[in-house]
Amino acid sequence: MPDDEFKTLLMGYLDEELTDAEILRVENHLKECRECSLELENFRRLKGATRDMRVLMPDGKYWEDYWSHIYNRLERRIGWILTSLGAILLASYGLYKILAKFVLSPNIPWIIRLGIMALVVGMCALIVSVLRERLFLYKSDKYERIKR
Amino acid sequence: MSPTEERTAIERCKKGDRDAFAFIVQKYMKPAYYVALGYVGKPDDALDISQDAFVNAFRHITDFDTSKTFFPWFYSILKNLCMNHLNRIRRLCEDSIDAMAGQEDEIPLPVEALNPEQSAVQKDLRYKIGRAIRRLHPKEREIIILQHLQDFSYQEIADLLGIPIGTVMSRLYGARRALRRELERLGVEY
Repeated sequence: MPDDEFKTLLMGYLDEELTDAEILRVENHLKECRECSLELENFRRLKGATRDMRVLMPDGKYWEDYWSHIYNRLERRIGWILTSLGAILLASYGLYKILAKFVLSPNIPWIIRLGIMALVVGMCALIVSVLRERLFLYKSDKYERIKR
Repeated sequence: MSPTEERTAIERCKKGDRDAFAFIVQKYMKPAYYVALGYVGKPDDALDISQDAFVNAFRHITDFDTSKTFFPWFYSILKNLCMNHLNRIRRLCEDSIDAMAGQEDEIPLPVEALNPEQSAVQKDLRYKIGRAIRRLHPKEREIIILQHLQDFSYQEIADLLGIPIGTVMSRLYGARRALRRELERLGVEY
Protein backbone atom coordinates (compact mmCIF):
# COMPACT_ATOMS: atom_id res chain seq x y z
CA MET A 1 0.00 0.00 0.00
CA PRO A 2 1.38 3.46 -0.84
CA ASP A 3 2.56 5.59 2.06
CA ASP A 4 0.13 8.04 3.62
CA GLU A 5 1.44 11.13 1.92
CA PHE A 6 1.17 9.70 -1.56
CA LYS A 7 -2.22 8.14 -0.87
CA THR A 8 -3.72 11.56 -0.49
CA LEU A 9 -1.67 13.13 -3.25
CA LEU A 10 -2.78 10.40 -5.64
CA MET A 11 -6.35 11.52 -5.10
CA GLY A 12 -5.50 15.12 -5.88
CA TYR A 13 -3.53 13.99 -8.93
CA LEU A 14 -6.42 11.89 -10.21
CA ASP A 15 -8.93 14.71 -9.73
CA GLU A 16 -6.57 17.39 -11.09
CA GLU A 17 -6.57 19.31 -7.85
CA LEU A 18 -2.82 19.61 -7.25
CA THR A 19 -0.42 22.49 -7.76
CA ASP A 20 2.26 22.23 -10.47
CA ALA A 21 4.91 21.43 -7.88
CA GLU A 22 2.79 18.65 -6.37
CA ILE A 23 2.04 17.21 -9.81
CA LEU A 24 5.76 17.05 -10.52
CA ARG A 25 6.39 15.27 -7.20
CA VAL A 26 3.68 12.71 -7.84
CA GLU A 27 4.86 12.06 -11.40
CA ASN A 28 8.43 11.55 -10.23
CA HIS A 29 7.21 9.18 -7.56
CA LEU A 30 5.04 7.26 -10.03
CA LYS A 31 8.06 6.61 -12.25
CA GLU A 32 9.71 4.77 -9.38
CA CYS A 33 6.77 3.22 -7.55
CA ARG A 34 4.91 0.48 -9.35
CA GLU A 35 2.50 -0.01 -6.46
CA CYS A 36 1.32 3.58 -6.63
CA SER A 37 1.02 3.40 -10.42
CA LEU A 38 -1.22 0.35 -10.14
CA GLU A 39 -3.25 1.99 -7.41
CA LEU A 40 -3.70 5.09 -9.54
CA GLU A 41 -4.79 2.98 -12.51
CA ASN A 42 -7.42 1.25 -10.38
CA PHE A 43 -8.76 4.55 -9.11
CA ARG A 44 -8.78 5.93 -12.64
CA ARG A 45 -10.97 3.04 -13.81
CA LEU A 46 -13.30 3.58 -10.86
CA LYS A 47 -13.60 7.26 -11.65
CA GLY A 48 -14.23 6.39 -15.30
CA ALA A 49 -17.04 4.03 -14.32
CA THR A 50 -18.88 6.75 -12.39
CA ARG A 51 -18.01 9.60 -14.77
CA ASP A 52 -21.43 10.09 -16.33
CA MET A 53 -23.46 9.25 -13.24
CA ARG A 54 -25.32 11.70 -11.08
CA VAL A 55 -27.47 11.34 -7.98
CA LEU A 56 -31.06 11.18 -9.11
CA MET A 57 -32.61 14.45 -7.99
CA PRO A 58 -36.19 14.88 -6.88
CA ASP A 59 -38.20 16.65 -9.58
CA GLY A 60 -38.33 20.45 -9.85
CA LYS A 61 -41.73 20.67 -8.21
CA TYR A 62 -40.29 19.37 -4.97
CA TRP A 63 -37.57 22.02 -4.93
CA GLU A 64 -40.18 24.70 -5.58
CA ASP A 65 -42.12 23.51 -2.54
CA TYR A 66 -39.05 22.88 -0.38
CA TRP A 67 -39.19 26.23 1.38
CA SER A 68 -42.94 26.11 1.92
CA HIS A 69 -42.56 22.75 3.69
CA ILE A 70 -39.99 24.32 6.03
CA TYR A 71 -42.13 27.43 6.52
CA ASN A 72 -45.12 25.28 7.45
CA ARG A 73 -43.08 23.37 10.01
CA LEU A 74 -41.80 26.60 11.55
CA GLU A 75 -45.30 28.01 11.71
CA ARG A 76 -46.73 24.81 13.11
CA ARG A 77 -44.22 24.90 15.94
CA ILE A 78 -45.41 28.34 17.01
CA GLY A 79 -48.96 27.01 16.86
CA TRP A 80 -48.04 24.11 19.10
CA ILE A 81 -46.26 26.38 21.59
CA LEU A 82 -49.27 28.71 21.84
CA THR A 83 -51.70 25.79 22.12
CA SER A 84 -49.58 24.15 24.83
CA LEU A 85 -49.19 27.42 26.70
CA GLY A 86 -52.94 28.05 26.62
CA ALA A 87 -53.65 24.48 27.77
CA ILE A 88 -51.14 24.76 30.63
CA LEU A 89 -52.61 28.09 31.79
CA LEU A 90 -56.19 26.81 31.70
CA ALA A 91 -55.31 23.50 33.34
CA SER A 92 -53.35 25.29 36.09
CA TYR A 93 -56.24 27.63 36.76
CA GLY A 94 -58.71 24.74 36.89
CA LEU A 95 -56.43 22.76 39.19
CA TYR A 96 -56.00 25.75 41.47
CA LYS A 97 -59.77 26.21 41.70
CA ILE A 98 -60.35 22.54 42.47
CA LEU A 99 -57.58 22.44 45.06
CA ALA A 100 -58.74 25.64 46.71
CA LYS A 101 -62.22 24.19 46.99
CA PHE A 102 -61.03 20.90 48.50
CA VAL A 103 -58.19 22.11 50.70
CA LEU A 104 -60.07 25.03 52.17
CA SER A 105 -63.35 23.21 52.62
CA PRO A 106 -63.99 22.26 56.28
CA ASN A 107 -66.37 19.49 55.12
CA ILE A 108 -63.53 17.42 53.61
CA PRO A 109 -61.76 15.12 56.10
CA TRP A 110 -58.21 16.19 56.96
CA ILE A 111 -56.74 12.90 55.68
CA ILE A 112 -58.15 13.54 52.19
CA ARG A 113 -56.84 17.11 52.27
CA LEU A 114 -53.42 15.87 53.33
CA GLY A 115 -53.46 13.28 50.54
CA ILE A 116 -54.32 15.93 47.94
CA MET A 117 -51.57 18.22 49.25
CA ALA A 118 -49.01 15.40 49.07
CA LEU A 119 -50.14 14.56 45.53
CA VAL A 120 -49.79 18.16 44.37
CA VAL A 121 -46.39 18.65 46.04
CA GLY A 122 -45.17 15.34 44.55
CA MET A 123 -46.33 16.30 41.05
CA CYS A 124 -44.68 19.71 41.34
CA ALA A 125 -41.41 18.06 42.44
CA LEU A 126 -41.55 15.72 39.42
CA ILE A 127 -42.22 18.58 37.01
CA VAL A 128 -39.35 20.63 38.46
CA SER A 129 -37.06 17.62 38.21
CA VAL A 130 -37.95 17.02 34.54
CA LEU A 131 -37.57 20.72 33.72
CA ARG A 132 -34.18 20.84 35.46
CA GLU A 133 -33.01 17.82 33.47
CA ARG A 134 -34.23 19.39 30.20
CA LEU A 135 -32.47 22.64 31.04
CA PHE A 136 -29.25 20.78 31.75
CA LEU A 137 -29.46 18.93 28.42
CA TYR A 138 -30.22 22.18 26.61
CA LYS A 139 -27.19 23.90 28.12
CA SER A 140 -24.84 21.02 27.35
CA ASP A 141 -23.55 20.49 23.80
CA LYS A 142 -26.37 18.97 21.80
CA TYR A 143 -24.01 17.75 19.10
CA GLU A 144 -21.16 16.47 21.24
CA ARG A 145 -21.55 12.98 19.77
CA ILE A 146 -20.72 14.33 16.34
CA LYS A 147 -17.12 13.75 15.38
CA ARG A 148 -15.71 15.73 12.48
CA MET B 1 -25.29 34.97 -2.65
CA SER B 2 -21.99 36.50 -1.53
CA PRO B 3 -20.58 35.87 1.98
CA THR B 4 -21.54 39.43 2.98
CA GLU B 5 -25.10 38.95 1.75
CA GLU B 6 -25.25 35.64 3.59
CA ARG B 7 -24.07 37.29 6.80
CA THR B 8 -26.68 40.02 6.42
CA ALA B 9 -29.39 37.43 5.81
CA ILE B 10 -28.35 35.51 8.93
CA GLU B 11 -28.38 38.69 11.01
CA ARG B 12 -31.94 39.21 9.82
CA CYS B 13 -32.78 35.58 10.64
CA LYS B 14 -31.54 36.19 14.17
CA LYS B 15 -34.22 38.87 14.45
CA GLY B 16 -36.80 36.30 13.39
CA ASP B 17 -37.01 37.24 9.70
CA ARG B 18 -38.17 34.08 7.94
CA ASP B 19 -37.96 35.61 4.45
CA ALA B 20 -34.24 36.05 4.99
CA PHE B 21 -34.01 32.42 6.00
CA ALA B 22 -35.66 31.46 2.70
CA PHE B 23 -32.56 32.82 0.91
CA ILE B 24 -30.29 30.66 3.06
CA VAL B 25 -32.47 27.61 2.38
CA GLN B 26 -32.43 28.29 -1.37
CA LYS B 27 -28.66 28.42 -1.33
CA TYR B 28 -28.04 25.27 0.69
CA MET B 29 -31.01 22.97 0.09
CA LYS B 30 -29.32 20.87 -2.59
CA PRO B 31 -26.00 20.38 -0.76
CA ALA B 32 -28.06 19.54 2.34
CA TYR B 33 -29.93 16.94 0.34
CA TYR B 34 -26.71 15.36 -0.99
CA VAL B 35 -25.21 15.16 2.49
CA ALA B 36 -28.38 13.65 3.95
CA LEU B 37 -28.65 11.22 1.06
CA GLY B 38 -25.05 10.22 1.70
CA TYR B 39 -25.98 9.31 5.24
CA VAL B 40 -29.46 7.85 5.00
CA GLY B 41 -29.39 6.59 1.41
CA LYS B 42 -33.10 7.07 0.65
CA PRO B 43 -34.28 10.17 -1.26
CA ASP B 44 -37.51 10.64 0.70
CA ASP B 45 -35.75 10.38 4.05
CA ALA B 46 -32.98 12.68 2.82
CA LEU B 47 -35.47 15.37 1.82
CA ASP B 48 -37.38 15.08 5.06
CA ILE B 49 -34.30 15.16 7.27
CA SER B 50 -32.69 18.03 5.40
CA GLN B 51 -35.87 20.07 5.92
CA ASP B 52 -35.93 19.18 9.60
CA ALA B 53 -32.33 20.33 9.84
CA PHE B 54 -33.26 23.73 8.40
CA VAL B 55 -36.13 24.02 10.89
CA ASN B 56 -33.73 23.23 13.76
CA ALA B 57 -31.14 25.63 12.36
CA PHE B 58 -33.66 28.46 12.31
CA ARG B 59 -34.73 27.63 15.83
CA HIS B 60 -31.13 27.85 17.08
CA ILE B 61 -29.92 30.55 14.72
CA THR B 62 -29.18 32.89 17.64
CA ASP B 63 -26.42 30.44 18.72
CA PHE B 64 -24.70 30.80 15.36
CA ASP B 65 -21.52 32.86 15.24
CA THR B 66 -21.85 35.09 12.18
CA SER B 67 -18.08 35.45 11.82
CA LYS B 68 -18.13 31.84 10.57
CA THR B 69 -19.70 30.29 7.48
CA PHE B 70 -23.16 28.87 7.78
CA PHE B 71 -22.88 25.45 6.21
CA PRO B 72 -20.36 23.75 8.56
CA TRP B 73 -22.54 24.79 11.51
CA PHE B 74 -25.67 23.62 9.73
CA TYR B 75 -23.86 20.45 8.71
CA SER B 76 -23.41 19.38 12.35
CA ILE B 77 -27.18 19.75 12.92
CA LEU B 78 -27.92 17.82 9.74
CA LYS B 79 -25.44 15.11 10.58
CA ASN B 80 -26.90 14.75 14.06
CA LEU B 81 -30.38 14.24 12.63
CA CYS B 82 -29.04 11.72 10.10
CA MET B 83 -27.28 9.78 12.86
CA ASN B 84 -30.46 9.77 14.97
CA HIS B 85 -32.36 8.47 11.96
CA LEU B 86 -29.81 5.73 11.34
CA ASN B 87 -29.84 4.75 15.01
CA ARG B 88 -33.62 4.51 14.88
CA ILE B 89 -33.41 2.29 11.79
CA ARG B 90 -30.75 0.15 13.47
CA ARG B 91 -32.96 -0.29 16.54
CA LEU B 92 -35.86 -1.28 14.30
CA CYS B 93 -33.61 -3.81 12.57
CA GLU B 94 -32.53 -5.20 15.93
CA ASP B 95 -36.16 -5.52 16.93
CA SER B 96 -36.99 -7.59 13.87
CA ILE B 97 -33.73 -9.17 12.87
CA ASP B 98 -35.08 -11.65 10.33
CA ALA B 99 -37.42 -9.23 8.65
CA MET B 100 -35.20 -6.23 8.15
CA ALA B 101 -31.56 -6.84 8.91
CA GLY B 102 -29.34 -6.08 5.96
CA GLN B 103 -32.19 -5.18 3.64
CA GLU B 104 -31.64 -1.44 3.96
CA ASP B 105 -28.16 -1.68 2.51
CA GLU B 106 -29.38 -3.63 -0.49
CA ILE B 107 -31.46 -0.75 -1.83
CA PRO B 108 -29.22 0.96 -4.40
CA LEU B 109 -28.50 4.65 -4.23
CA PRO B 110 -30.60 6.23 -6.98
CA VAL B 111 -28.23 7.32 -9.73
CA GLU B 112 -29.04 8.47 -13.23
CA ALA B 113 -26.91 8.74 -16.35
CA LEU B 114 -25.96 12.07 -17.88
CA ASN B 115 -26.18 10.33 -21.21
CA PRO B 116 -29.66 8.78 -21.45
CA GLU B 117 -28.73 6.52 -24.41
CA GLN B 118 -27.09 3.79 -22.40
CA SER B 119 -26.79 0.13 -23.17
CA ALA B 120 -28.31 -2.50 -20.91
CA VAL B 121 -24.80 -3.38 -19.69
CA GLN B 122 -24.13 0.21 -18.68
CA LYS B 123 -27.50 0.41 -16.93
CA ASP B 124 -26.72 -2.74 -15.03
CA LEU B 125 -23.32 -1.34 -14.05
CA ARG B 126 -24.97 1.88 -12.88
CA TYR B 127 -27.41 -0.11 -10.75
CA LYS B 128 -24.61 -2.15 -9.21
CA ILE B 129 -22.49 0.91 -8.50
CA GLY B 130 -25.52 2.48 -6.83
CA ARG B 131 -25.84 -0.65 -4.73
CA ALA B 132 -22.15 -0.67 -3.82
CA ILE B 133 -22.30 3.00 -2.81
CA ARG B 134 -25.33 2.26 -0.66
CA ARG B 135 -23.32 -0.37 1.21
CA LEU B 136 -20.55 2.04 2.15
CA HIS B 137 -20.15 3.58 5.57
CA PRO B 138 -22.16 6.86 5.68
CA LYS B 139 -19.03 8.97 5.88
CA GLU B 140 -17.57 7.24 2.83
CA ARG B 141 -20.86 7.45 0.97
CA GLU B 142 -21.07 11.15 1.69
CA ILE B 143 -17.74 12.02 0.10
CA ILE B 144 -18.28 9.70 -2.88
CA ILE B 145 -21.58 11.42 -3.60
CA LEU B 146 -20.06 14.88 -3.36
CA GLN B 147 -16.98 14.14 -5.45
CA HIS B 148 -17.98 11.39 -7.87
CA LEU B 149 -21.66 11.98 -8.34
CA GLN B 150 -21.89 15.73 -7.95
CA ASP B 151 -18.47 16.81 -9.18
CA PHE B 152 -17.80 19.15 -6.27
CA SER B 153 -14.23 20.48 -6.15
CA TYR B 154 -12.05 19.70 -3.14
CA GLN B 155 -12.41 23.31 -2.00
CA GLU B 156 -16.20 23.08 -2.19
CA ILE B 157 -16.22 19.81 -0.24
CA ALA B 158 -13.84 21.26 2.34
CA ASP B 159 -16.10 24.31 2.75
CA LEU B 160 -19.25 22.19 2.95
CA LEU B 161 -17.93 19.73 5.50
CA GLY B 162 -15.76 22.22 7.39
CA ILE B 163 -12.61 20.12 6.99
CA PRO B 164 -9.17 20.86 5.48
CA ILE B 165 -8.43 19.87 1.88
CA GLY B 166 -5.88 17.30 3.12
CA THR B 167 -8.67 15.57 5.04
CA VAL B 168 -10.87 15.64 1.94
CA MET B 169 -8.15 13.79 0.05
CA SER B 170 -7.51 11.20 2.75
CA ARG B 171 -11.25 10.54 3.23
CA LEU B 172 -11.63 10.22 -0.50
CA TYR B 173 -8.80 7.71 -0.62
CA GLY B 174 -10.43 5.55 2.07
CA ALA B 175 -13.87 5.88 0.46
CA ARG B 176 -12.62 4.92 -3.00
CA ARG B 177 -10.81 1.89 -1.66
CA ALA B 178 -13.96 0.85 0.19
CA LEU B 179 -16.03 1.34 -2.97
CA ARG B 180 -13.61 -0.82 -4.94
CA ARG B 181 -13.87 -3.52 -2.28
CA GLU B 182 -17.67 -3.42 -2.43
CA LEU B 183 -17.65 -3.63 -6.21
CA GLU B 184 -15.33 -6.62 -6.05
CA ARG B 185 -17.59 -8.23 -3.47
CA LEU B 186 -20.56 -7.75 -5.79
CA GLY B 187 -18.51 -9.22 -8.63
CA VAL B 188 -18.69 -6.03 -10.68
CA GLU B 189 -16.21 -5.51 -13.48
CA TYR B 190 -15.69 -1.94 -14.57
